Amino acid sequence: MDKVEKIFETRELNVNMGPQHPATHGVLRLVLEIDGETIVKVTPYVGYLHRGIEKLGESLSYFQALPLTDRMDYVSAMSNNIGYVNAVERLFGIEAPERAKFIRTMVGEMARISNHLLWLATHALDIGAMTVFLYCFREREWILELFEKICGARLTVTYPRVGGVRNDVTQEVLDSLWKFTEEFPSRILEYETLIDQNRIWLQRTKGIGVISAEEAVNWGLTGPTLRGSGVPYDVRKYMPYDAYDKVEFEVPIGTEGDTYDRYRCRMMEMRQSNNIIRQCIEKMPPGPVMADAPKFVLQPKDKMMPITHPKEKHAYFIDEKLCKGCGMCMRACPAKAISGEKKKPHKIDQSLCLQCANCFVTCKFKALKIIPGGKGLSDEKLAELAAQPVPEEIKQASEYLIQHFDFIKKGPRVPEGDLYVATEVPKGELGFYFVSDGSGKPYRMRVRAPSFVHAGVLPRLCVGHLVADVIANIGTIDIVLGECDR
Amino acid sequence: MAVTLVKVSRILKGLEPTEIAEKIKEKFPDEVIDITNFRDQVSVIVKRGRVFEILKYLHDEPHLSFNHLQDLTAVDWLNKKEPRFEVVYNLFSIRFGNRIRIKAQVPGDDPKITSVVPIWAGANWHERECYDMFGIIFTGHPDLRRILLPEDWEGHPLRKDYPLKGPELEKDWEGFKELIKKSEELKEYIWKE
Amino acid sequence: MGASHYDFDRFGIIFRASPRQADCMIVAGTVTKKMAPVVRRVYDQIPEPRYVVAMGSCACTGGIFRTYSTVQGCDTFLPVDVYVPGCPPRPETLLEGMMLLQEKMRKEKARWSPWR
Repeated sequence: MDKVEKIFETRELNVNMGPQHPATHGVLRLVLEIDGETIVKVTPYVGYLHRGIEKLGESLSYFQALPLTDRMDYVSAMSNNIGYVNAVERLFGIEAPERAKFIRTMVGEMARISNHLLWLATHALDIGAMTVFLYCFREREWILELFEKICGARLTVTYPRVGGVRNDVTQEVLDSLWKFTEEFPSRILEYETLIDQNRIWLQRTKGIGVISAEEAVNWGLTGPTLRGSGVPYDVRKYMPYDAYDKVEFEVPIGTEGDTYDRYRCRMMEMRQSNNIIRQCIEKMPPGPVMADAPKFVLQPKDKMMPITHPKEKHAYFIDEKLCKGCGMCMRACPAKAISGEKKKPHKIDQSLCLQCANCFVTCKFKALKIIPGGKGLSDEKLAELAAQPVPEEIKQASEYLIQHFDFIKKGPRVPEGDLYVATEVPKGELGFYFVSDGSGKPYRMRVRAPSFVHAGVLPRLCVGHLVADVIANIGTIDIVLGECDR
Repeated sequence: MAVTLVKVSRILKGLEPTEIAEKIKEKFPDEVIDITNFRDQVSVIVKRGRVFEILKYLHDEPHLSFNHLQDLTAVDWLNKKEPRFEVVYNLFSIRFGNRIRIKAQVPGDDPKITSVVPIWAGANWHERECYDMFGIIFTGHPDLRRILLPEDWEGHPLRKDYPLKGPELEKDWEGFKELIKKSEELKEYIWKE
Repeated sequence: MGASHYDFDRFGIIFRASPRQADCMIVAGTVTKKMAPVVRRVYDQIPEPRYVVAMGSCACTGGIFRTYSTVQGCDTFLPVDVYVPGCPPRPETLLEGMMLLQEKMRKEKARWSPWR
């Protein structure tokens, strides 16, 4: 009997699931050490999409760095923008108006639904359910069309801006969104009918990737990945931002900490998001959509219209009695239409004047007068009209014009200090850590990406399972490499 | 059902962040350099010598229980402040809902600090990223190597004296230079129309 | 693109998992210096006749990312046939790109002259 001893030897095999692979979402490279079919060790290699966003953010101003955040988690771009905008508003010390907060909550929840749909589509496709993929993309196209109606872009919207949102939503958009929320619960029911009680699905997700609550907190997980293990932590409830303290919703918490519980958490979150969108549409207050803080945010331009977009062209005229001859307007004029010697009153050449108002905002002695409808009149006529008092609408509009020019030239006056603000994106908790040194550009912009932390826990989840479970685990932690690598 | 809907709200009320900062100052009086408060967020600046003990105290104490390490990063204060680097730990307590920030000062000529992987396992990748971007060495880390850039990259990009556009082609990463050379050689086999 | 709304199948385009069975490679998204050798290796694995479509601004010219780790356009190391701009390109733009590629294939003389 001891002849049947070592007929063959086995040893562990190192397999590379390279960055180019149809099942790993994005460029993730895994090196698996396997013993037969069971996994002994997994080493993920990330960084194939590292674009240097943090370093780029240090050389751009706060407003210019906003489109960079779209491209991190390109699946739910609205939520990244909302996170960034909340952090910058806290840093500046301004608050968006009520209507803008409700709109931001609404589009944030739409982004959450769109993200969970894509997650379900790819997760189910990897495990084997192809029909779910096609159904989910049908709904996702609907949401992307709604995004297009709101702001013009489907994927990389830059719709939430510092101080509010870019433009208002019309009643038509709200009506079509309402129709979507009425139809959507029946669609979720469709997906659940396909896979919820399916034997294959249950076998492939129950008991896979189990992590206990304490370990999950120790690893720094957030979002549905953490809530599936039973930890009731949701940034929208702990530190409410935007309009989350004015809408009612509940948070699904799991018990086992396996893939099936995380799947159920996300499905229930989709229903809750649907509910939140309905509440937002009902409770939306009227009002402006951009904060009234001229030192920090660019104001809407309609108040300056009497000067910048007149019905008949204005004439810009230097009043010779008030002009001191300092030469500031001469240096500011881009068309070189002003001429004159030092200490002598200057003169504008009306044929070269572009009506750009650069000289108007530079003059400290109020010698520059705007004559409404005066383009083409002779100089003597203009001198006559300049002697009359300034019309009321020009006076009001000129205040806003001077604020506008001031803001564009000097930038926002940011206080010094550092700040960490977190928001709940569909994948977890997105944190922005800003260090500001008083200038218009961040000294250090740090993005705490949930996908980075979740990709780190992959070695812990996969040990002891089979090779096919690695795919299920990658799906359940819901990573997007654009965010993980920044 | 395994998953239930829960009305989440913070029931336990712990200490205020300013009180927590005072407690740290009481327990470790020589280590704390400064306490700042900006927009209701408290940061404590400490020396790097006993930072492991301070963080362990914050993690283990039952009425503080900072069990969630949200972020671990560094800031480069080249020519603005001495010491040059500051390693920033953003901590959060899920029981009480409190936040606090610990900043440990690290000099530029000896960039070493103790690793906190024994306390929070999630610090593993954060510390590797810090090493990759700034060059700060974490003593006691199980596997300190580059994570976001190729393993044989030279230089630490997030330092202030590293150019944004990167080095020129001659001083660039070896793998990329080889790739450009190879593609130049293979250009003669492309179909020309 | 593959799903039912903007179907690719009606143009005769199927997605394959392996480069050895493909005719055309679409480079979508930013190419970093760490990923560039991998992309070149995949390109080398495609048997002749092969075409490359650069999709998105980042693949065409590097896009908004002018940094130390981004390759400024995948045409620094690959021969590109069609550039599809946009960030991200709309589905209709990519369809137009594929149709332009089909046009180009019809007009090519050197590669296809034995068969025409």
